[in-house]
Amino acid sequence: MRDFRHRHAAAAVVLVAASLLAGCGTPAPEGTPAPEQPPPAASPYRPVASIREVMNSVIDPSVDVVWNSVGSDIDHGRITDRAPATDEHWAEVRRHALIVSEAPNLLMMHNRPVAPPGAPSLAPGVELTPEEIRSLIDKNPAAWYLFAQQLQDALKPALAAIDAKDSQALFDAGDRIDTTCENCHQVFWYPKAVASAR
Amino acid sequence: MKTKILLVLLAAGALWSVRPAQAHHAFAAEYDEKKPVTLTGIVTKVQWVNPHGWIYMDVKQPDGKVKHWTIETAGPSQLSRHGLKKADFTDGMSAVVKAYQGLKDPALANGRTLVLADGRSFYVGSVGGPNDGADR
Repeated sequence: MRDFRHRHAAAAVVLVAASLLAGCGTPAPEGTPAPEQPPPAASPYRPVASIREVMNSVIDPSVDVVWNSVGSDIDHGRITDRAPATDEHWAEVRRHALIVSEAPNLLMMHNRPVAPPGAPSLAPGVELTPEEIRSLIDKNPAAWYLFAQQLQDALKPALAAIDAKDSQALFDAGDRIDTTCENCHQVFWYPKAVASAR
Repeated sequence: MKTKILLVLLAAGALWSVRPAQAHHAFAAEYDEKKPVTLTGIVTKVQWVNPHGWIYMDVKQPDGKVKHWTIETAGPSQLSRHGLKKADFTDGMSAVVKAYQGLKDPALANGRTLVLADGRSFYVGSVGGPNDGADR
């Protein structure tokens, strides 16, 4: 997204420079209307889901598969370790890790609504309203992008662990993913609840 | 091949179906900080998984009936940092858990401290819980 904007910004600079140079060479006669500027290119992206829906329908179900693939179950003192047992299961976990890795790009797209129109806070008084979240994002888009990119970074060790079929490394990576999620949620989703707990 | 994957997923689903929904939410969106509970009972199962651990406890009620509690804890890395180990959960072990009851599910709780039968005490709370001093 940043590259896309940079390309457009660069194109705009070239256009302005070109028009200035043209203006120097051939002054327009008085009364001649200024040539129409081409409208800015519209973004090709067409968000369908809201941020809440991307979280609930894309990120959450997939990160659960990553988290749940490793760990331990202790049943009446008997410890059973979880780990993908087959190449197919590892591939399944990898698919979900990739979904979570790419999903932050969806979150960073401009003009994606926070929630469907008219949707309230899911926990009024505890979690912010969609309007409050939108306001926070608009006030500090750099932080929003940073958290989104940190989620992508947090998935890198998970993907490496999956490729190495290293269940312990994947388990350890799961903790970093959770911390990254929580860091963003504390700023953009329920900062009041966290503040009141302190 | 597809049958094999399906079997793996079904087995995994059965294994994990006992755990409540685990989507991230603020503590106060799921638990009632005005309802602290002290649960004394037998630990039957533990799920040592990200992003939160789960302790399953059978707690005898005053009327003699047993209530099955599900207690959310911090993630396993956090638990390990506080000194708790998987091997601490032995068969038939009794424990005392201080927790906050769920807003919707009366058998769900968010754990704050876990005291084992040998007297060792561990902070098991997750981020965003009440400032009740349990973490000190």
